[in-house]
Amino acid sequence: MQWRDIVNTLNVRLHPLRKSAVPDTLATDSEQLSRWLHGVAQGDAGAFRSLYDATSPKLFGYVLRILGKRELAEEALQDGFFAIWHGASSYQRQLAAPMTWMTTIVRNKALDRLRGQVRDADFDGPVFDPDIMQALEDPHATPIDALLASRDARALAVCMAALDGLHRQAVGLAFFHDLSHSEVAQQLAVPIGTVKTWIRRSLERLKTCLSKGERA
Amino acid sequence: MNIRDNPALCDKLAAEYVLGTLKGGARRRFETLLRDDAALRRVRDEWQARLMPMAEFAPSQAPRAQVWRALERRLGIGRRHAGWQFWRSESLLLWRTLGLGSLALTLLLALMLRSTLVDTPHIDHLAALTDEQARTALVITADSAARRLEVRLLDAAPVAAGRSLQLWAVPKQGNPRSLAVLAGRGAQTLALTRDALGDDVAMLAVSLEPLGGSPKPDGPSGPILYKGSWARVQ
Repeated sequence: MQWRDIVNTLNVRLHPLRKSAVPDTLATDSEQLSRWLHGVAQGDAGAFRSLYDATSPKLFGYVLRILGKRELAEEALQDGFFAIWHGASSYQRQLAAPMTWMTTIVRNKALDRLRGQVRDADFDGPVFDPDIMQALEDPHATPIDALLASRDARALAVCMAALDGLHRQAVGLAFFHDLSHSEVAQQLAVPIGTVKTWIRRSLERLKTCLSKGERA
Repeated sequence: MNIRDNPALCDKLAAEYVLGTLKGGARRRFETLLRDDAALRRVRDEWQARLMPMAEFAPSQAPRAQVWRALERRLGIGRRHAGWQFWRSESLLLWRTLGLGSLALTLLLALMLRSTLVDTPHIDHLAALTDEQARTALVITADSAARRLEVRLLDAAPVAAGRSLQLWAVPKQGNPRSLAVLAGRGAQTLALTRDALGDDVAMLAVSLEPLGGSPKPDGPSGPILYKGSWARVQ
């Protein structure tokens, strides 16, 4: 074998290690993701690889935040992409954006794994990326646009920034850790009725705020 | 209870279903209703479109390459190679277990890095730090001309909250000198100082320390997790 072959092979193998961040434009171009999903539905392994490369860092970051353990998060990610491969033919573009559809699948796989685990009583580490938390706390100091690539995520961040800090925390804890009202109440040390009200009002406000964004 | 005639309730339940706070029996009942109610499914889809982008608020992180390989195997979509082309079908692990500590492979690694990192062509020193099972956890390269030291974490074990990894230059004589407290993941570029990393350094090592680094001024306070020879390659 030639040295060049070995070096080339290793270059290919090492590629994913080279840089953890994927250009965000790749992950957020819905048109492109839809085209790849269409290819996956036809059994196109190349399209599947492209889809995986573009979206796996985001989805893995998310499941890692849900599950906390790397091995577990990797298993959930694998389950998710396995389901994406097999489910691509049933994906309907008019019903959901590709990223929403994929996130929902991967989230369910992660929650399946989470439910199989003995729950840790404490959730160490922040729910949100500290930079994004900062941007949500003070949208003027840190531009949200610079941190979040997808238009949907930016719109949601702007609307979440308008929520009271504790309300936002309640929504985030519930979403990222699959907590019940009473578990959120325990985490934030407030009565359960208060948490129910906070979450209900937050969801209403997010809906109103996001629909304003659509019209704008 | 028939919720279909109550759009406000449908909306509220769908929202809490997607957020995850609708639990237990209520969740199962809602799922039963979803099955034969297209309008309700649409309400749920709308809430998914609103809330799922929250997933992007978590920091992105690339999964290890083995996840893709496992997926390829599971789906049977990987490329097939002839059996003798073992380096094509086997993982990077093979190369690691062959012992990257050996000089030949260290040189290969140098070649590889030089051809990969087109923008940093002047790598003149490198080390592959391995754990006790000879698995490479970190690759460290130096560009003396640009006075840059680049640290890449490959498969280093995750560090518990409240602990840090600290990188040390181990000279032939005298105490180890701290080079940096490492970020948890990915690549990190450090300024290269002659004092810290002079010709007398034979080895680099990484120790597990309390958050922020070793409290001892003259060396690591915790166990050495990874180590490797510091080799000149030019």
